[in-house]
Amino acid sequence: MNNKSVRTQFAKQFSFFMAIPAFVWVFICFYIPLLTIIARSLLTRSPGEIIPHFTPDYYAQLFELKYFHVIWRSLLLAFGTSVSCLLIGYPVAYFLARKARSAKNILLFFLMLPFAVNLLVQAYAWFFVLGKSGLINQALMMLGLISDPLNILNTPVAVYIGMIYCYVPFMIMPLYAVLEKLDQRFVEASFDLGADWFKTMWRVVLPLSMPGIVTGFFLVFIPVFGEFVIPNLLGGNKQMFVGSLISFYFLITRNLAVGSAFTCLSGIIVLTAAVFTYWRLKKLWA
Amino acid sequence: METKSIKLEHVKKNYRDEEVFQDLNLFIPGGKFFAILGPSGSGKTTLLRLIAGFEKPDTGRIYLGNQDITDLSIFERRVNTVFQNYALFPHLNVFENVAYALTIRNVPKDEIADRVAQALKMVHLEKLMYRPINQLSGGQQQRIALARAVINRPDVLLLDEPLAALDLKLRERMLIELIELQDALGSTFVYITHDQSEALTVSDSMAIMNSEGEIAQVGTPKSIYEFPASSFVAKFVGTTNMFKGTLRVDENGERIVIDTLGDFAVVAPKDKSWVYDKAPALMSLRPEKIEISKQPIEGFANHIAGTVKNIVYQGSSTRYLIEAGDYVIHVFEQNEEHFPTEVIDYDDTVNLYWQKENVVILER
Repeated sequence: MNNKSVRTQFAKQFSFFMAIPAFVWVFICFYIPLLTIIARSLLTRSPGEIIPHFTPDYYAQLFELKYFHVIWRSLLLAFGTSVSCLLIGYPVAYFLARKARSAKNILLFFLMLPFAVNLLVQAYAWFFVLGKSGLINQALMMLGLISDPLNILNTPVAVYIGMIYCYVPFMIMPLYAVLEKLDQRFVEASFDLGADWFKTMWRVVLPLSMPGIVTGFFLVFIPVFGEFVIPNLLGGNKQMFVGSLISFYFLITRNLAVGSAFTCLSGIIVLTAAVFTYWRLKKLWA
Repeated sequence: METKSIKLEHVKKNYRDEEVFQDLNLFIPGGKFFAILGPSGSGKTTLLRLIAGFEKPDTGRIYLGNQDITDLSIFERRVNTVFQNYALFPHLNVFENVAYALTIRNVPKDEIADRVAQALKMVHLEKLMYRPINQLSGGQQQRIALARAVINRPDVLLLDEPLAALDLKLRERMLIELIELQDALGSTFVYITHDQSEALTVSDSMAIMNSEGEIAQVGTPKSIYEFPASSFVAKFVGTTNMFKGTLRVDENGERIVIDTLGDFAVVAPKDKSWVYDKAPALMSLRPEKIEISKQPIEGFANHIAGTVKNIVYQGSSTRYLIEAGDYVIHVFEQNEEHFPTEVIDYDDTVNLYWQKENVVILER
């Protein structure tokens, strides 16, 4: 093989070579730790043994209702947050992508601005809004709607509010990307064929933005399922969620084996839930 | 079936500070194939969007038959559009696309199936009923777009350069199918194009728009081609030779004096204020109206001699570029014989002949 054809070959495979560092990185930082966790959850070593042996014990310990409560609660939180983000985010994304025109960039900037602030600070900011003497309670009392301050902080309501607040941009971005690319001619064609605004939305705009809806849904659903900062801060650790329980095992009790088993179990469940939801969403418009 | 005409009255339309129409008046007769021909940027697409309802005029009224539709929403107008790039819904298959106008009106399912089958048959695509849109060729998409637009029997069908993306052979076939479709449906077809041969082929009558968004001329293809009302129309529709000259009107008839060529007998319009002795004028002479020969021929009113500068053989015809005076004159000649009796070659001196009735005198 002469020099030139080696270079041509290299050029042809260029994208493959460029992808190698990323593959190596993902393998080292994600797959190896993941395999370690799976191994931790399935293997044990009796005193004096050198080679660990298989055990289902750690999973068996999880067969208690309270663990499934935690997973169920997290699934509900993830699902509720995703749906709320979709309902809140869709009109925003639609407005930004199709109506805002020249104000678009400045509005996008303000939408992304909270990302520049540390998540902890964002969460603490909610203390001033939701607290006993926070903005909401003061406003409601001033309007005379309530006489005693509501207890919002450290309740599931606060967790939901915080989650929706933090994750709505993750819903808006993919929706925005899809809606901005959606060809105006499809909308016009629908009007032209006699569909009013509502029918056009339902039959043309929504189905054509399905890729964005699906992407946004999972960008919210999966991280919310495992989130532990917001439940801890705004929920006051009163209710356990998947993320808080994992951090409890790994960081506080240091029970790595049961923690790993729980991590794997919840991982499998969230994947199943995700696949199921995806399948349902696809069927909805088929 | 009652056919609906379209009438635009004193329509004014600005588009982001840019004036598209100042005072547009146009009558499109009902039940006819009407073409709107104009260069790009003449506002012909805006005109179509006004009729469809995608745009509202700033002032002026638009009528469909006797009904004022200026303030009617797009979806309330019985006007459908075939879009330039078809705009078929990518998430729906052929059947669902064609059925769209009926589905949203909650027409019963078996009636939809019947009418979709009928519409697809009309465009010869009944076999592709359940194909996804992305598996269709350009020509097939074009036909599906047609079927989708006519399924609800619109009063008016608007076609926005529908054939621009197709190759020549297909375009010619689609033109004939469009004419047949219009015949079968009897609705008013408004066909927007910048391609003059398409417009001439397809239309019963047509309007020419100029770059300022004004209607330059309305008429049948023949009257527009043979009797253009202005030098813009003469140059835009077909090919023509345009000469600058001065009119001479006296008892011996009308003549035009053209610098470096001489003077020629013409027939000038009688009722125009710009027709008088010594008036500046333009003479338009179509290339096919000229007889070319190396030998002298009798019986023509006008003659000049020139030198052959270029010969373009086009199969059915040959195009010559003849230099005479300061002008380069286009001449078309039919290739009528396998073995022409007279061979014209580069740099030959040739005679050009034409009759005085075959020129058009235009205002300069």
